[in-house]
Amino acid sequence: MELLDNLGIDGRLLLAQLINFVILLAVLYKFAYGPVLKILEERTKKIENGLKDAEESHKKLAEISEKEAAVLVEARKNAQQIIKKSEEAAVKNAEEIIVLAKDQSIKMLEQAKKQIEQEKEKILAEVKTEVAELIMVATGKIIDEKLDSEKDRDLINRSIK
Amino acid sequence: MEISLAPEIIFHIGSFPVTNSLLMTLILSAIIILTSLNLRNKLKLVPKGFQNIFEYVMEAFLDLIDSVTQNREQTRKFFPLVVTIFLFVILSNWIELVPGLGTIGINETHHGKTILVPFIRSASADLNMTLAIALISVFTIQFMGIAAIGAARYAGKFFVNPLRKPYFIGTFVGILELISEVAKIISFSFRLFGNIFAGEVLLIVMLNLVPYFVPLPFLFLELFVGFVQALVFAMLTLVFLKMAVTAHEH
Repeated sequence: MELLDNLGIDGRLLLAQLINFVILLAVLYKFAYGPVLKILEERTKKIENGLKDAEESHKKLAEISEKEAAVLVEARKNAQQIIKKSEEAAVKNAEEIIVLAKDQSIKMLEQAKKQIEQEKEKILAEVKTEVAELIMVATGKIIDEKLDSEKDRDLINRSIK
Repeated sequence: MEISLAPEIIFHIGSFPVTNSLLMTLILSAIIILTSLNLRNKLKLVPKGFQNIFEYVMEAFLDLIDSVTQNREQTRKFFPLVVTIFLFVILSNWIELVPGLGTIGINETHHGKTILVPFIRSASADLNMTLAIALISVFTIQFMGIAAIGAARYAGKFFVNPLRKPYFIGTFVGILELISEVAKIISFSFRLFGNIFAGEVLLIVMLNLVPYFVPLPFLFLELFVGFVQALVFAMLTLVFLKMAVTAHEH
């Protein structure tokens, strides 16, 4: 016991120190470790979740852009098809139009020719009648003798032919 | 210059002696408690200031304890005791670095001689404090061991049937282990006490010999010693805890 005394060990002080440490442990456990560890865990979870979300959104973004590309390719294909079709249609149309136009022009030409022919005939006929009349007048005047006009015309007509 | 192995009594409350180291312990505890209360109130998910430092220390300890236990559940169990020991011991050790060590105090007359009773004495330079923590540590070790593997198996570590292989050697080793459990109390308390008490004496002597500049390197040395001793105390407790909860393999 003297040894303990010399070392300064005192039961009352020892007890006081024991109680002090236990109180300290309890207080630190309640107010420092518990809450801090909880918050650390919370943060870890939050960060993990955030990273996961980021990864997911990355994936989704990649998917979407892939889809986008596919859609674009499809659209381009469609567009090309449409253009091709319309080109074909246009070419066909043009050919048709050309054929039609040719036909029409040929028809018109023919019609014009016919008309010209008709006109020519008409004019010729008119000229003939005019000439006949002229001749009739002239011969009437020259001969001064009036045949009846029907005989006269017959006569002229025969002479012109 | 009078250096006493025992902490000096400053005054009595009734018959209870209030020593300078007890006073320091109480002041230190009050500071720690107030700080932790303050921390609790200001705790935020996005850390700031002191919370950062505290969290950093906590995480470092979590990793350190994890590396010893290899088991998160055990880490959770051991963490409060180990970290409290570390924090309390390191701060107690660093009390000796507070200016006024061995100089500020009251003059008392003992046996016709006037001696200075200093106010500041490292709490770790008092065997009562180191013994108290050692007792708590060793008892917790026993308790955790029994709780983890059962009383019978835990006792089986110390009391080995002499008729089992390797016969009497096993029994002898068991008794040695039992003695070493008791020796842990002594080694824990005297290691810390010896280191810090010696450091205090060294600092007081240096201060008395050459008051300027010369004590400076010793102050740094003591800063380091205080850290190492606190770490040793905490880590040994941790390792013993781990050993206690691990069943013997037969």
